[in-house]
Amino acid sequence: MSSSASAQRWACANLKMKALRIVVAGLVIAALGGCASYAPPQAWEKQYLALPAMQFDADKLDAKNIQHVYFSKEGSAGGYGVGGGGCGCN
Amino acid sequence: MAATHEITVDADDAEQARDAVDAAIADVLRIEAKYSRYRDDSVTTAINRAAGLREVAIDAETAALLRYADHCHALSRGHFDITSGVLRRAWDFRSASPRVPDAAEVEALRALVGWEHVQWSGEAVRLELHGMEIDFGGIGKEYAADRAATILQERGIAHALVNLGGDLRAVGGQQGGAPWRIGIRHPRRPASAVVASVDVSDGAIATSGDAERYFEKDGRRYCHLLDACTGMPVSAWQAISVAAPLAVVAGSCSTIAMLLESEAAAFLESQAVAWLGVDANGTLHGTLAQ
Amino acid sequence: MAATRGPRPGALLAAALTLPGVVPQAVAQSVPDTGYIQFKYLDYRDWQPGARRMRVENPGLFVLKPLSESLVIEGSLVYDGMSGASPLYFNALSGASGEGVTDYRTAGDVRLTKYFDRFSIGVGVAYSHERDYISRAGSIEVRTWTADKNRTYAFGFAGSADRISADEGAVQGERKNVLDFLFGITQVLSPTSIVQSNITYSRGHGYFTDPYKLLDNRPDHRRILAWLTRYNEHFPSRDGTLQLAYRYIDDSFGADSNMLEVAWVQPLPHGWSVRPSLRYYTQKSAFFYFGPPVGSGLRPGEPYTADTRLSAFGAWTPGILVAKQLDDGWSVDLKLEYYEQRGSWRLGGDGSEGLLPFSARWIQVGVTKTF
Repeated sequence: MSSSASAQRWACANLKMKALRIVVAGLVIAALGGCASYAPPQAWEKQYLALPAMQFDADKLDAKNIQHVYFSKEGSAGGYGVGGGGCGCN
Repeated sequence: MAATHEITVDADDAEQARDAVDAAIADVLRIEAKYSRYRDDSVTTAINRAAGLREVAIDAETAALLRYADHCHALSRGHFDITSGVLRRAWDFRSASPRVPDAAEVEALRALVGWEHVQWSGEAVRLELHGMEIDFGGIGKEYAADRAATILQERGIAHALVNLGGDLRAVGGQQGGAPWRIGIRHPRRPASAVVASVDVSDGAIATSGDAERYFEKDGRRYCHLLDACTGMPVSAWQAISVAAPLAVVAGSCSTIAMLLESEAAAFLESQAVAWLGVDANGTLHGTLAQ
Repeated sequence: MAATRGPRPGALLAAALTLPGVVPQAVAQSVPDTGYIQFKYLDYRDWQPGARRMRVENPGLFVLKPLSESLVIEGSLVYDGMSGASPLYFNALSGASGEGVTDYRTAGDVRLTKYFDRFSIGVGVAYSHERDYISRAGSIEVRTWTADKNRTYAFGFAGSADRISADEGAVQGERKNVLDFLFGITQVLSPTSIVQSNITYSRGHGYFTDPYKLLDNRPDHRRILAWLTRYNEHFPSRDGTLQLAYRYIDDSFGADSNMLEVAWVQPLPHGWSVRPSLRYYTQKSAFFYFGPPVGSGLRPGEPYTADTRLSAFGAWTPGILVAKQLDDGWSVDLKLEYYEQRGSWRLGGDGSEGLLPFSARWIQVGVTKTF
């Protein structure tokens, strides 16, 4: 593959990815806006928020295991937290 | 405390419901035992026995209740006072032939009443004067009702009604969408009449009135709600019911409102709670009055 | 006892909310009432068309225990037993017949968190040990929240120091040091919905190369910026919860990625619950990744890798989790997930060519006891 052709392909892919990123971010924000109205609850209205399914870090060991699997099989990782340390599997 | 205590749960899973109710009842009994002034081994008894002598170590739960009692004392401008139980020695509502005590008796006991004589912190409490007593009776039952509701919810119950002696805490309405329908008893005809009906899905209703414990002498009713400032029973209202998000708030608001007598309406308005009051003449007042 | 001013609106309600247990605990802003211990066992296998490659058996233990009303300790201990070969395709293992390696990894971490009225501080250490790789890390996380507890800000900082020595002797005493920063906001949107968005920034210096690949030479520094947004919404009418996650990664290696994950938690009668899930991941290739044949594009002194993990691909993971609540605080769960990675599945096309699809499946069983 000649270098200018591959450079062109990189440029196209970059633009596509950028556009895609913006679309997904927009979808996420729209979903947030659409799915739920912004009405932060009072302290006595939080019974549903106490459900394990509603919490982000309810099962830490599962998260640790699964994120480790993805870390060793995919190129990039992160976003969930800090301080797990490294390993030789990537 | 010979009143009806009942927990109603609407759920599909009978086993899960039973487990949840068992846990809730266990906690209600725990609180009753921990703060009952009739039990030898209760926290209340330990504190009262050390009055005028030494301080007693307390845990975080007791400290939180004392802090709440402090708020009630401040918000009621001293009329609500958990040290006012000693006045019972002059006003004996259980006696077969109760009598109105004379002024000297009441004054002597009023010397032992005063939240300002309670030294408390997050770790310990001390009653300064020998003979003083504290009593969590005005707060404990409603506190237990709120905790019971929380325990039920934490165990997956989405529709429940906790009723501890007329102090109610509702969770989620009934299954299917209808709210819990609460009837407020008429203070003078409690067995037969209802002064109002209130629909509650989430929240609490508590009633404080002169019909729980009282005696009548010479055409005048003397009830168990004693004003800490005067040592005398209050009489401006027959009953006040309050609806609030928590049972402990509904209960304290209704009791404090009864004690504030003519200032009850202003107080309840400032706490932003819905209420229904039946005054001494039987006239209805308040936001829930229909 | 004289009044200097009237009572504040709702003052009694605010006071009542400080009583313990009167409302259910919502977001994690105070010490849980109970601790728990959890054992999970993960069995992982992967393969490519015509060949089985790697197997990992991964038992792990996790414990969380409140030490006081404001202090919690938690920790985990995991063991990875790996056997088989890492992704082959056109790669060759150093000195390899392609038979594979057997390796193990033990890792543990401990975290202590102290809760105050409006903020918490957590301090943690982690240690991991393999035959040829040792990692030590420390972290600190500070969370602070608004008075109504509907918004939480999280700040995290971690540092890790790794040492690498490939036991063929070719690589000795290499180091990799990484600093991680996290900033996150969690916002309760309504009584039934909550969103969290985290940005993490990772700066690493040192040895990134894979010592087991014949031809592999990676840059000595890597910066990763990850932006993860998660959203949970509960539907009381169905008793179910929707979980969404989207993550974008900008990587100095060039392996930028997008990930979207969706799951639904559905409680069933008698304490059962089921959670089907689907994850899609798409990745650009690293700027120094070159496809087959091995060695094409290799220039002396320039970074190079033929490691398929840094190629451009898309991957799907359908999965299901089944759990059952038992008596006395016991519960069990079983998770089954299938993973497939293909160059042609990359979003927008342009996936790396010449690669075999890579598949994996994992089963995780877990037992939990609260105490």
